Amino acid sequence: MSDTFDHTKPLLSVKDLTVEFGSGEFAVRAVDRISYDLHPNKTLAIVGESGSGKSISSLAVLGLLKHLGGRVTSGSLTFQSAVLNQQVDLAQMSETELRKIRGNEIAMIFQEPMTSLNPVFTIGSQMGETLSLHQQLSKRDARAKALEFLDLVRLPNAKRLLDSFPHQLSGGMRQRVMIAMALCCQPKILIADEPTTALDVTIQAQILHIIRDLQAELGTSVIFISHDMGVVSEMADDVLVMKASKFVETGPVTEVLGTPKEPYTRALLAAVPRIGAMTGTDAPKLFDIPGQDTGNTSVEAKPVDHSAPVLEIENLTTRYDIRGGLLNRVTHRVHAAEDISFNIYPGETLALVGESGSGKSTVGKTIQQLVDPVSGKMRHNGRDIFSLPAAERKAFRQQTQYVFQDPFGSLNPRKTVGESLIEPARVHGLVTNEAEARDKVADLLTKVDLPPEHATRYPHQFSGGQRQRLCIARALASDPGLIIADEAVSALDVSVQAQVVNLLMDLQAKQGLSYLFITHDMAVVERISHRVAVMYLGQIVEMGSRRQIFENPQHDYTKRLLSAVPVLNPGQRPTRAPLDGEIPSATRAVGDEPVPVNLRSVADGHFVAT
Amino acid sequence: MPVFRFILQRLFQAVLVTLAVTVFVAFVIRLTGDPAVMMTAESSSVTEEDLAHIREALGLNKPFFVQYLDFLKSLVTFDLGDSFFRGPIDDLISIALPSTIYLAVASLVVSILISIPLGIHSAIHKGGLSDQIIRVLSLVGLSFPNFWLGIMFVLLLSITFPILPASGFDSWSSMVLPAVTIGIILTATNVRLVRTQMLETLSAQYVMVARAKGLSETKVIYKHALRNAAIAIVTFLGLQFGNLVGGLVVIELVFNWPGMGTLSIEAIAQRDYPLLQATVSILAIMIVAVNLAVDLVYGLIDPRIRVA
Repeated sequence: MSDTFDHTKPLLSVKDLTVEFGSGEFAVRAVDRISYDLHPNKTLAIVGESGSGKSISSLAVLGLLKHLGGRVTSGSLTFQSAVLNQQVDLAQMSETELRKIRGNEIAMIFQEPMTSLNPVFTIGSQMGETLSLHQQLSKRDARAKALEFLDLVRLPNAKRLLDSFPHQLSGGMRQRVMIAMALCCQPKILIADEPTTALDVTIQAQILHIIRDLQAELGTSVIFISHDMGVVSEMADDVLVMKASKFVETGPVTEVLGTPKEPYTRALLAAVPRIGAMTGTDAPKLFDIPGQDTGNTSVEAKPVDHSAPVLEIENLTTRYDIRGGLLNRVTHRVHAAEDISFNIYPGETLALVGESGSGKSTVGKTIQQLVDPVSGKMRHNGRDIFSLPAAERKAFRQQTQYVFQDPFGSLNPRKTVGESLIEPARVHGLVTNEAEARDKVADLLTKVDLPPEHATRYPHQFSGGQRQRLCIARALASDPGLIIADEAVSALDVSVQAQVVNLLMDLQAKQGLSYLFITHDMAVVERISHRVAVMYLGQIVEMGSRRQIFENPQHDYTKRLLSAVPVLNPGQRPTRAPLDGEIPSATRAVGDEPVPVNLRSVADGHFVAT
Repeated sequence: MPVFRFILQRLFQAVLVTLAVTVFVAFVIRLTGDPAVMMTAESSSVTEEDLAHIREALGLNKPFFVQYLDFLKSLVTFDLGDSFFRGPIDDLISIALPSTIYLAVASLVVSILISIPLGIHSAIHKGGLSDQIIRVLSLVGLSFPNFWLGIMFVLLLSITFPILPASGFDSWSSMVLPAVTIGIILTATNVRLVRTQMLETLSAQYVMVARAKGLSETKVIYKHALRNAAIAIVTFLGLQFGNLVGGLVVIELVFNWPGMGTLSIEAIAQRDYPLLQATVSILAIMIVAVNLAVDLVYGLIDPRIRVA
């Protein structure tokens, strides 16, 4: 029946799509006259920063906008439907007709694998539901078909998975189930909305590999929505760039990412940290942001002073108990941090990198004394912190400040930012009167490049990037020597991320701050750090200067981590073989202690686990 | 076997709570005075010797814990002995307990039948006219004293228009008024609960995924969303059961319903200690049992609980 179609025609042709939320004078345009064509067996990537309307435009294709309060106000979505055996306009179709296409000819996978599957139904029943709906399969046939597709996304033990519930699976496995579920009716179009954003890089590499393979195998066209230029460069045939609901530019991936015409695309690309961009340099380097004079020089005004460390961590071990059984005894322990040792010197950035569950945040929290260690020593300017009385520990807390990942959750919404900023200084008795407090707030806001008169505003009046600046300003309020930045730039759009990273480096140059920079993002690490420690399952497996780690990685895990980072090299498909399987768990039964790794020195300051 | 251990754990907890509650009941009742003195308060010529005889006959001279253990034994063996004035307690309970359970179940069913459809409707049409009306009505329902509503129903449907019986438990039609009264009171809170829970689950990602699969809106709402909302709703219904029993006591009096509430109020009025101790303990055990049942059902509808 597909012979009735003209194969030169695009599978999906979007013309002047406009989406509005709200009505009348309060209507907000979320998508403003976007047009694109999707051809059979091709991947179109829609890129843009948060709020650019890239997800909304794809929900419009499925006719799901009304559940979010939006609607298509003009434009057409012409789709060559095989099921209905005609060319249809998805924007004009009835709900009943659309349901025959949704999940059948056009399927979608979403960003959050953790919440995309219904927690109360088994994987088998959720997949079977789609199959019996669109292909009228019996229960047994649906099960067989579901099994076939779970195998196709290379899930081990697929048979057992059918009867598993979503919470028994890791994030990466859930996203593979989502892909299997979306593809099981062999749709002609797969819409993938940031499918790997919530996943670790090595798992991301797996998922991208699977999507590419299945696309080739099944001949599916893909609309790939992403903010990550590296991922787009690996996946896309064509790219459409969006900014603030509007079209910016479109074309083949080699042109748009290789020789961008529009300034916005160029700015976006400049802000993308590229691994390998720093090869050959020792010191951290500011991002080159067009329109901003960063001088593009290294910021290391003061070289790191290696005479006396600001912080020495020695054999630090932190475990979390898991209780269970009738008597609520400790049955398992999470070995979050095992035998961790490192030093941080004044004016130095030590990056602590690893994937989720590696224990990197636990190390930060233990240093800030938010959790108690099982054993180990911590010396601050030579003084043993854990053996100090409570009052002097408080003084240490003033010297070390924490910046969290979520800039939305870490500022009190009912306080003006001025009140929030001055609070730590008050707690530590650094300001005594109101005039002093006002001056201090103004000074702090200036330091993070925000106008001092913003002190009377409330957090909701700031954007995500501005809020993260505020969090940094608050951390600076008690004049700390060390700032622990826990995934502090991970939730930000790339252009904003570049600015905040630059701000951090700038502050370091001016004030001689030390950073413990905890992150999973290797590309940012390459920019900002002097030294890098790689964590895996609660232990440091490799540590060395940034150049040693990035230019001469020794440990297998470090190599895997580095090779999994998508490379911005348009037109090139990655050659890496993705690792199969999952990151093992750091949870162990009581008595089953992990084997401590031995770090051996391979070069000056470069240590590798044997 | 995590499922088995889960059930065992909950059973163990339920037994502990039951023991604590019955100790408390037995202890507090004895604090209110000497049953022998109370029992003979009407007659004038009671000697200290007579009182001692009575205590001996009732077992009141034994230490508290021996008495408590005797009481526990009588509970477990369903042999609760005699009340002071009304013969074997077992006979009284065997009439009162089923009446109360019928009424409790009927009012819960009434409440569920009204609140789930209304709550879902309200959540789907959030902010619309019907949602506003439902919310106002639920507020009105919340502010009624339950006995007043009961009396109004009796005035309207038994006296002005004699359609339904006003009191007693002679036929199933007698159950309509008391069950509807309590049902409506419960509905006022339940509608709001169903509405909030449905709003929350309807905004979940998996609901959007279900829609993207091409499922009909009915299936999305009643299968995917309601099943998840049910987890919180069932928990709340279990917690509400305590309130329900409290409300039953008052409503049973209003409708002269021959249930546990009426029985315990009469026991208090007559200072019938054994009867009071038995009725209060059984009501408490009922609440514990219902909460245990809710925990187990909770495990059935939410697979995440089973392993935890």
